[in-house]
Amino acid sequence: MNILATPEGIIDTDRPKQGIIDTSTAGFENILLDFSQFCPEGEVENFGKRQKKAGQSNRPLITETPSKLCEIMEPVLSQYKKSGLRTPAAYAPYLRRDTKRADLTPLLYRLTQESLRVCGQAGCGTIIVRPLFSGIDRKEQWKENREYYLSLLPLARENNVRILLENQCQDVNGHLVRGICSDPHEAASWVDWLNAEAGEQRFGFCVDVGICNICGQNMREFVRKLGGRVKAIILRDGDGQKETSLLPFTCTAGNGQPRTDWLGLIRGLREIHFDGQLILDFGDTAAAFSPLLRPWLMRLAKATADYFKWQIGIEDTLKKYSSIVLFGAGNMCRNYMKCYGEKYPPLFTCDNDSRIWGTNFCGLEVKPPDSLKTLPEDCAIFICNIYYREIERQLRDMGIKNNIEFFNDEYMPSFYFDRLERR
Amino acid sequence: MRIGVQTKNVIDDRQPEKGFTLLKEAGFSCGDFSLNSYLVNKAIYQSEINTFFDKSVSELEDFFSPHKYGAEKAGITINQMHMPYPNYVPGGSEELNDYLRNVVATKSVRLCAFFGCPYLVVHGFKLARFLGSEEREWERTESFLDFLAPMAKELGVTICIENLYDSVGGHMVEGPCCDAGKAAERIDRINERHHASVLGFCFDTGHANLMGIDFESFLITLGDRIKVLHIHDNDGVMDLHQLPFTFTKTRENRPSTDWDGFVKGLRQIHFDGVLSFETAPVLTTFPEEMKAEVLSFIARIGKYFEDQIKVSL
Repeated sequence: MNILATPEGIIDTDRPKQGIIDTSTAGFENILLDFSQFCPEGEVENFGKRQKKAGQSNRPLITETPSKLCEIMEPVLSQYKKSGLRTPAAYAPYLRRDTKRADLTPLLYRLTQESLRVCGQAGCGTIIVRPLFSGIDRKEQWKENREYYLSLLPLARENNVRILLENQCQDVNGHLVRGICSDPHEAASWVDWLNAEAGEQRFGFCVDVGICNICGQNMREFVRKLGGRVKAIILRDGDGQKETSLLPFTCTAGNGQPRTDWLGLIRGLREIHFDGQLILDFGDTAAAFSPLLRPWLMRLAKATADYFKWQIGIEDTLKKYSSIVLFGAGNMCRNYMKCYGEKYPPLFTCDNDSRIWGTNFCGLEVKPPDSLKTLPEDCAIFICNIYYREIERQLRDMGIKNNIEFFNDEYMPSFYFDRLERR
Repeated sequence: MRIGVQTKNVIDDRQPEKGFTLLKEAGFSCGDFSLNSYLVNKAIYQSEINTFFDKSVSELEDFFSPHKYGAEKAGITINQMHMPYPNYVPGGSEELNDYLRNVVATKSVRLCAFFGCPYLVVHGFKLARFLGSEEREWERTESFLDFLAPMAKELGVTICIENLYDSVGGHMVEGPCCDAGKAAERIDRINERHHASVLGFCFDTGHANLMGIDFESFLITLGDRIKVLHIHDNDGVMDLHQLPFTFTKTRENRPSTDWDGFVKGLRQIHFDGVLSFETAPVLTTFPEEMKAEVLSFIARIGKYFEDQIKVSL
């Protein structure tokens, strides 16, 4: 799984060095090649009207000279290269969701063609291309999009790029509701049909979590129905009403509870064994932070993306060890045993509560922490208690040298209806 | 096509006929009997069950006789009824869940038949978080429906499942029965199994709006499995049960709910049932003194929908 940052709110296209430093210093190795940074939706919307030149440098508008896209992007691309940032995925220019313009399809086609060429030159193997929607009657949507995507096929092949369709919302008088490809059955059939027509797996799907969230969709179901067609995920948070790109876990209802169905998303991605591009889009959060704080924000963002990768592949951590023991004999241990106990059976669990030593908990003998001193070398200790770092310190202070891992039960495949009372 | 509304906030148990007369005068010919008002969901979730359903079936029938005959006398047909919900409380006691299934649900079916009401709306179980998937959640709902189906068949009642929402940190997201394709397949399968039309669908516009569901395609996918409606509006954020056309999100002041899609969908499936409004909260939003006018206005909106649906038939 590749983790990518998006450049929006972080990297200034006119002066990219600082943003690139912040990105790579935070540990990101990949960045999204976002063509909309160079050709924003507002510029596309105003195509054909009098517009100011773009950026501080007054560079020419891409919409007026699509063939200059590569030349205009070159300074940023070379900076990416110099700093070791790879660009495994890209995002083609797109229309505003509330656009009334129905005459922009030829322009989008040109812009996407040029984007494909730049992808080829930059070694970028994946591009997200939104379906066409403006001015298209519901009954004609598939026909129009089929033609559109197939017309991009020769260039995609030539440049060795896979095209990803993406779920959309639509604007109903200011209310964002489900749009094209928001029905996963339909989206899957579009991808399959395009691949059949192409005679190869040239098309795939990108799930925009922010759009699923706005549309209140069951993310597990959405992801599962698309299955292996999902090649990329755009990970972003929001309030479920407006389209925003916030860092995951930063949007709450004031009750400490996230407003995005991370549980469903993680369950779904685990079930389809997702191993594609995990694109972290937190442009609005980044833009809101002072440039002075941005390096710290970027580190938090990287840690957040790593956390998702870890949660999605939680079994990979369990698989690493020939034997394991647990630390903790409470709800988290109980949840472990419910969901993973059979597949990855621990030797025993231990707990600091001397009253339960020697008892049996969920089929495991509960031992004192001292029993961890005699573990075989390759046996790992999984802490099943939210006081992770405190317990880790306790074990290290006891001189325990075995690998210590943290288990987490926030996104379990299933839950008990009840929770055990605290002792 | 007929027009109906919830009985909640209109019918007074002491003088039910008066409320039904009010509905008739407002322009309604049908009522959605709010059986769920007699055991409210908040109380069920808190395991605070009142004794209403402890009454025997004949006692309950006696209790509701004035309602039944009051409706008949006023010329109101009870077309649909809402069963109390939830029918299962995760983490609730075995005693509570047994009561909800064996007492509340079964007596609801019998009361539905007593009113001569053809449709009984039930809520699917909300268990996906615990069980891990919508499929496993549905298995529990299906088992509940299978339990009720023989009685429903015998009494000529069609149980209707409804598109519901769930909450993630206060954000309304898909709950049970929001996948029209799956719902259609399940309804057909269950009806085939029971050799009768024991199961249908209740399309709830407000819930669909909360989740940005495409009304038109949802209705078309379910087709004639749509037996009843819950028509109401909201801001796309909370389940407010307000009047259609009330909400807007831009200064152009166009409706932010896709009523056009609603009309087109019903037109395409040749819907010929009751345009039933689930707008009881509107009656507490407006002053009590305006109740008759508000009800008339709701009925007028129903008439507008009827005209629009019929327009190009």
